[in-house]
Amino acid sequence: MGQAAIAWQRVLRHLGHEGQVYADEVAPAWRSLVRPATELKPRADDFVLYHHGIASPLAGRVMLLPCRKGVVFHNITPARFYVGKRLEEALVSGRAQLAAMADFVDVSIGVSQFNARELEVAGHREVKVVPLFVEPERFTARSMDPKLSARLAKAGRPRVVSVSRVVPHKRMEDLISLHAELRQIAPGAELWVVGGFAAGNEDFKALKQKADRLGGVTFLGRVSHAELVAAYRSADVFVSMSEHEGFGVPLAEAMAADVPVLAFGAAAVPETMGGRGIVFDEKHFAALAELVQLVSTDAELRASLIAGQRERVAELSFSSTRDALARCLPSPAKRVKKTARPRVAMVVQRFGEELTGGAESLARQVALRLAPHVKLEVLTTCAVDHLTWKNELPEGEARDGPLTVYRFPVRRPRRLREFNRLSDSLFGKPLDFVSETHWLAEQGPLAPGLLEAIGARAGEFDAFLFFTYLYLPTAWGVPLVASKAVVVPTAHDEAPLSFQAFDDVFTAPRSLLCSTPEEAALIERRFPKAARRRIVGSGLEPLPAQPRRFREHFGITGPYLLYLGRMEAGKGVLDLVSRHQALVSAFHDAPSLVLAGAGNVQPRGTRVICVGRIDEQHKWDALSGALAVVVPSRYESLSLLTLEAFAVGTPVLGNAASDVVVGQLQRSGAGVPFALDDDASFGEAVKRVGVERAAMGKAGKKYAAQFTWDAVIGAYLDEIERIRRKS
Amino acid sequence: MKLMGKDLTPAKVMAFVTERLEARGLAGPAELDLRTDGVEARVDPLTFNLQALEANADATQGLPLETHRDGLAGRAVVVAKRVFRGVGQVFINEALGRQRVFNGHVRDSYAQLAAEVIRLRQRVEELEGEEEKKAVSTRKRK
Repeated sequence: MGQAAIAWQRVLRHLGHEGQVYADEVAPAWRSLVRPATELKPRADDFVLYHHGIASPLAGRVMLLPCRKGVVFHNITPARFYVGKRLEEALVSGRAQLAAMADFVDVSIGVSQFNARELEVAGHREVKVVPLFVEPERFTARSMDPKLSARLAKAGRPRVVSVSRVVPHKRMEDLISLHAELRQIAPGAELWVVGGFAAGNEDFKALKQKADRLGGVTFLGRVSHAELVAAYRSADVFVSMSEHEGFGVPLAEAMAADVPVLAFGAAAVPETMGGRGIVFDEKHFAALAELVQLVSTDAELRASLIAGQRERVAELSFSSTRDALARCLPSPAKRVKKTARPRVAMVVQRFGEELTGGAESLARQVALRLAPHVKLEVLTTCAVDHLTWKNELPEGEARDGPLTVYRFPVRRPRRLREFNRLSDSLFGKPLDFVSETHWLAEQGPLAPGLLEAIGARAGEFDAFLFFTYLYLPTAWGVPLVASKAVVVPTAHDEAPLSFQAFDDVFTAPRSLLCSTPEEAALIERRFPKAARRRIVGSGLEPLPAQPRRFREHFGITGPYLLYLGRMEAGKGVLDLVSRHQALVSAFHDAPSLVLAGAGNVQPRGTRVICVGRIDEQHKWDALSGALAVVVPSRYESLSLLTLEAFAVGTPVLGNAASDVVVGQLQRSGAGVPFALDDDASFGEAVKRVGVERAAMGKAGKKYAAQFTWDAVIGAYLDEIERIRRKS
Repeated sequence: MKLMGKDLTPAKVMAFVTERLEARGLAGPAELDLRTDGVEARVDPLTFNLQALEANADATQGLPLETHRDGLAGRAVVVAKRVFRGVGQVFINEALGRQRVFNGHVRDSYAQLAAEVIRLRQRVEELEGEEEKKAVSTRKRK
C-alpha cells in the first residue's frame, strides 16, 4: 500500500497535481519521502487521497479533514483466516472504518473491480476503479541479481516460485502439498518461497518442518528487488495458492518477468490475470502437479502463456492508471493567457551571482540573456551550498538585475554522510521504484513550495526551462508541466543516470537542450524514448586578457598549467596533483600547477599554487597565460572551461575517460587527452602541448568562435516559440 | 477443476492432466463452477465499534500470547509473558483499575451517542420522505 502511494504520487504529477505522502508511522530514514500524518494540514481546496487497508487511526482523522477527500481501497483480508489471533479485530475494524467513511468522502477508488464491489457493499457511492500498474522494464533479465541467479541455476526442475508473506490466507501449506505431489512425478522439483515470515510462529514452524521433510523447499525470506527478479526469472512456474487478493501485485510482477503463472482464482485474482496465465478453481494437488510439469516442459504452451501475459502487462501500464485516476479527480485549473511577449519560468536548484557550479552558472547566463526577449521568472530554492541545501538566502521574491527570482525554503537539509551511505548501498544495482524515489528525495533539494508553485502556476507560463536533470525540482517538476517543459539536462555518465525514476525527465518534456553531441548520444543510449534533442551548449564572451596582470597579482613565474573549478575530489583534482608531482620529480623544468577555485579539498605539493576563488577578469587573464588548461573531471556534460581556454588560444589537457571532453578536443584539434591515473600519459600530454601550443591555440580559437550567445539564445527562443505555437 | 486462460485450450490441458492421473491410478478432479465473486459483507461501524469497546473495555485482560521469535528465545518469551501475567495479574488489576472504569464510561458514552445517531438518521429519513411526498403532491396540483 505504501509502495502504491509513492507510485501514485508520480501518477498524480503527470496529471498536474503536486502532493505529499503522509503516513501514521514513518521511520526517520524515510522522512524525506513520507511525512508523519501529524503534519498533514490541508487547505480547503486540497484533495486528500487516503489509502485504506487494515484498521488505522488515520481513517477517523480523514473523515474530519476540512477538505475534499477520497479513499483508495486496497482491500482487507477476511477475518476468518485469523480467528483467535490479535489481527482478527484489526481486520474487522478496518472494514467497519471502510463503511464509516462512506458518507465522508467525495470519491471512492478500488484498485480492482473486486475492491470496487466491496466498496459498494460497504455503502460507498461514486465508486471508481483505478488499477495498479507494473513497470516491466524493472523485471527484465538485466535486473537479476547475478549471485542468486547463479545459485538458483543449479537447482533441480521443475522450479516453482511463490511470492508473498507467509501468513494464513496465502495458504503456504497448499504450496507444500503441491510440492509433495510434484516430487512424486519429478523428484528434483524445487519450491522457492519469497517473502517475510515470523520464524517463531507455531504455524510457520509446522510448515517448515513439513517442508524440510520433503526437501527442495527454500524460504528465501525478504529479498532485494534484484534478488526478487532473479527468483522470478529462474523459476519455471509461478504459483499462487492465496485465498484472498485485493489485486495481487506478485501476479503482475511474475507476468512482467515472463514466468508462466498458475493461480487459484480467489477474490481479485482472475481479474488481475485478465484471462492470461492459468487460473484454477480447485486445489487438486495431484492434478496441479501434472499441470506444473506440463507448463514447465511444453515449450509451445509456455510461449503461448508468456505472450499472453505480456499483453496483460501492457494493459496494467502507467498510462492506464493515469487515465483512470484522471477520471476520478478534478482537473487542475489551466489559465492560459496569450501575451505578445512569451512568459517563461526557469526552474533551477540554486540561483545567484555568488554561486559556483557549471549548470547554475549556465542557467543564470541564459536567464540574463533571455530577459530582454521574454518575461522570465526564476523559481529556485533558498540554498547556496549544493552539498547541504541549507537555507541561506531569504525566502520569497527578490530581484537579480532584470530578473524576478522566487526562492522557496528547503524542507530538509541533506545530511551528506547518510546520503553517501545510501548512495553506496543503491548505486550499480537494479532497484524498485520506491528505492530510487527515496534516493531522489534524499538527493533533494526538497522544496515542496517550489513544486507546488510549478503546479499551481502552470497556466501562467508559456514554457518552463528546467536546469539539470539530477535534482528534485527537475525530476518531480517536469511531469507537472510536461507539455510546456524544456529540460537542459547537463547529463553525464554517472550512477544515478541509470535510475528509471529519471525516465520522466528525459521522456516527458517537449525537448532536451543538450550541451554536446556526446551528451545527446548518452541520453539516447540510456533513454531510447527520450524527447527531441537539440545541441545548444553555452555561449562565450571572453574579457580582454592580460596574462601579466594575473602573474603579478599572485606572484607566479614561469610556465604553468591551470585548473579552474570546484576543489572537490570528484572533480579529479587530487589525481591531477598526484600526476603533477610525478612530473615535477621527473623533470626539473616541469611547469607549475595553478589551482583556482574553492571547495572541500586543499591539495598541496611542490610547485602547486592554490589561488582560491578568482574574479572574472583574473579568470580570463589566468586562462590566456597558461601553458595549458587541465580538465581532470570525468563527469562533464559540457566543459565550459575547455571552451573558455580555446577562446583565448590556450590548449587543453583533458581526462581521456570523459567522452565529452575528448569529443571537444578531437573536434577542435586544440588539446590532448591523457589518462588521469597514468604519470607517463600525463607527462607525454604536457610535453606535446609544450611543443604544439601555438598551432593548438590557433585551432582552439577557430573552434570557439562558433559558440556565440546569439546562437544559444536563438535556440532557446525557438524552443519557446515551438511550445507557444502548439499550445 | 476448471481452468481459465485465453492462451491455452482448457479442455485439452485438463484431458492431458486427467489421463496422466489415471495412468498413475489416481482420481481426476471434480467439475466445479469457477468462483467469480466472494466479496466480504459490510461491517456496520456503529455496531462493530460498540462490540469492540465492550470486548476491550477491561484493560486488565491480556491479548492472546504471541511472539515472532523462533526457537528457544521464542519459547522463553512466551513462558516469560505467561509467568508475568500469572504472577503479576493482581498488580495489573491494581494499576489498570481506573483505566477499566474509564473504558467503561467511554463504552457507555459511545453506546448512547451511537443510539442517538441511529435515531437521528431514522428521523432524517422520515423527514426527507415527507418532503418528497409534499413535492410530489405539489407537482400534481400544478
